[in-house]
Amino acid sequence: MLLEKGMRLKMANTILEIKNLSKSFGKRKVIDNISLEVKEGEVYGFLGPNGSGKTTTIKMILRLIDNDGGEIKVNGYDTKKQFEKAMEYIGAIVENPDMYKYMTGRDNLKLHARIRNVDSKRIDEVLDLVGLKDRADEKVGKYSLGMKQRLGLALTLLHKPKILVLDEPTNGLDPAGIKQLRDILKEIAHNDGVAVFVSSHILSEMQLMCDKVAVLDNGKIVKTEEITNDEESGIENIEIRVNNKEKAIEILKDKFNMELKTQSKHIEITTSVVQIPSIVKELAINDVGIRAIVPKEHTLEDIFFDATKGGRGNE
Amino acid sequence: MNKIYKLFINENIKTWKKFATKLLIVIVLLALIGSMGLVKFIKYMNGRNDITYNSATDWKTSAKEEKQNLSEAIQNDVLDKQLIESYKAQIEKIDMALEENINPYSSYWKSELLNQILEAKMNNLGNNVVQELTQVLKSDDYTKYIEFEKDKVKKSLEKKDITQQEYNDKIIILDLKAKKEIGKTEEDKQYWQTYLISKIENAQSSVRTGVDYKNNNVLTLEEKQKYEEEVLIGIYSIENDIAPLEFADSTGNYRIMFESIATGFVMAMIGIFAIIIAGGVISTEHSSGTIKFWALTPNKRWKILLSKTLSVMFYIVTLTLIMAILTVICGELFFEGNGTQYMYVKDGTVTSIGSLLLMIELYFAKSIPVIIFALFAIMISTVTRNTAVAVSFGVATYIGNGIAMAIINQFIKKDWVKFIPFNNLNIADKIFPNMTNMMSMTGNNYATSTSLWFSLGVLGVCAVLMIVTMHDSFNHKDII
Repeated sequence: MLLEKGMRLKMANTILEIKNLSKSFGKRKVIDNISLEVKEGEVYGFLGPNGSGKTTTIKMILRLIDNDGGEIKVNGYDTKKQFEKAMEYIGAIVENPDMYKYMTGRDNLKLHARIRNVDSKRIDEVLDLVGLKDRADEKVGKYSLGMKQRLGLALTLLHKPKILVLDEPTNGLDPAGIKQLRDILKEIAHNDGVAVFVSSHILSEMQLMCDKVAVLDNGKIVKTEEITNDEESGIENIEIRVNNKEKAIEILKDKFNMELKTQSKHIEITTSVVQIPSIVKELAINDVGIRAIVPKEHTLEDIFFDATKGGRGNE
Repeated sequence: MNKIYKLFINENIKTWKKFATKLLIVIVLLALIGSMGLVKFIKYMNGRNDITYNSATDWKTSAKEEKQNLSEAIQNDVLDKQLIESYKAQIEKIDMALEENINPYSSYWKSELLNQILEAKMNNLGNNVVQELTQVLKSDDYTKYIEFEKDKVKKSLEKKDITQQEYNDKIIILDLKAKKEIGKTEEDKQYWQTYLISKIENAQSSVRTGVDYKNNNVLTLEEKQKYEEEVLIGIYSIENDIAPLEFADSTGNYRIMFESIATGFVMAMIGIFAIIIAGGVISTEHSSGTIKFWALTPNKRWKILLSKTLSVMFYIVTLTLIMAILTVICGELFFEGNGTQYMYVKDGTVTSIGSLLLMIELYFAKSIPVIIFALFAIMISTVTRNTAVAVSFGVATYIGNGIAMAIINQFIKKDWVKFIPFNNLNIADKIFPNMTNMMSMTGNNYATSTSLWFSLGVLGVCAVLMIVTMHDSFNHKDII
């Protein structure tokens, strides 16, 4: 037990720690006793339908809103009692990346750089990182939403924070922009060891981006799931489409001892990668009429709809 | 401290880069140029008036006309006896002037002597008195006239008609008249000098008798001191040729008129400028979402608000200083004369401060109410988070408080009205009590009985309350 704890600590420090957080607006409980931990180098997805309390939670982490109960620690500092210390380690965008429209992108960054004690070299660095170097001297009012998002990201990265808190960062980005953002986030998380806490309701993005997700519904965390890379663990989900479904199920049950759901249209199995050739061979010999064998990722969509019971929101 | 300084610098950069700021500064500059134009216009119009005024010159014709009018008036039976007597005296005076060929309109002292001759004749004081007076009149010698007057005063002292104090006062006036030849000719300059002489005489009599010459009230110690100072300052300004503001056009010293108008006008504009900037200081950040820009930095909220407040104050102070210096420079460049001199009595002697220092001090004295109104706008901006409300409230109270106070002071004669902050905004009038104000945007509607330190105290308490309120609201309200 002790050893295990020691190993975990060595592997990754907890940067963001939320314990029993709750918040009510009037009588309505918006956040109900949620707890989570985000570790160094981890991209943590915060999923939930609209109105589930994602933004409220993020605002409480950043102390834009006062929480009713529970505590939030950033790099070990309580955000309430040691606000200034805790905020040193956070870079954040909430809702929209709002900037001063009448100033250039670079000037906006300079304002922040002064407060964060960052030199102009770092400004160039982050501008380069988000790909805004060429247009940094234009007024922010002329930027597209995507550029504003990227500038916002540059702003949060300016002081090399230990944790990035991003609220719906892909809003308004085109597919190329989304991919770029994903790459940047993954890079800073995995190479620089920055923890990334990102909220979204767009599942496909989170699927590609996150190492771990928590699903929030009605102010409660209903599921926490690690998104593992299946190839590494040697386990894969596959979907088998055959003409003779009953026979195929029988074979799989008998020969490979698998539990299968019969009511679904196609056969879905979870198996180790090494076993796949023998399954295919067996099915082919028995002539069940294989039309396709499709590797099926265990998608967030499944997790999400499972957890939120059809994804209905509060509205 | 370092953090607040950095936030403060950021705030200034941000404000400066706004287009609205530059526009407002241009408007303040326009106020200065506008006051310059206004004074130049007055000067031009006065110049034109002088031409028409000077064209009626032939005094004999006008004297005869006046005589004609008077004699016609006497024919009217409706008039009472006293009036007819005085008309007759005037006719006689004109006759005498025509006879002796003395222009009674040209100089004050000659017409004064004519009056005295008439009086002597009417009261039958004897021929030698009349002759003596006529001689002085004919000799056209001003110094002789003064000597004669002095002699008369001395005689009345010997006869115990007047006290020693009254004698001293009169001698001071006569000496002053002799020195500056006041009343000798009818030059423009003479107007203000005779005006000041009469003002000094009034003040002297008030001090002597202990009764206010204006309303016959018994003077308090303070009022008496004020009149004593008035005498000293009056003498000082005649000796040093410092014409009061009211005579700016007749002396051609339009610079003091410009300075007086500019201080009022420019400061009013700076006030509006400050309120507009201050009214948006928190609320625009809320509406554009940029408040998060600051709230997410490792700075407690009070530091953010404090730096913003300081930044507004900094803008007011800087702008005030610049405008004070610009006013002096414009006065120097575009107008003749020395500019406004402010005189005050210190340890029994009169001291004066000149244009540059006076302008800076006056502007800063007038910026104190502006700072209070800026704080008011920041407070409303913080509490309501609505720029329109903050700016309109701020500007409305800034412009309307003078009228409101005038009405309140008119109808509520209670002691507590002096605690109303708006009643204590006339700091400048209290620092410079001897200043005549050509144009006061804030008006002279305030209770003036309170002292400078009392007013500053009330405003200070007011400022502290507003600062506490804005901080309480900003620190505890959620940022949504």
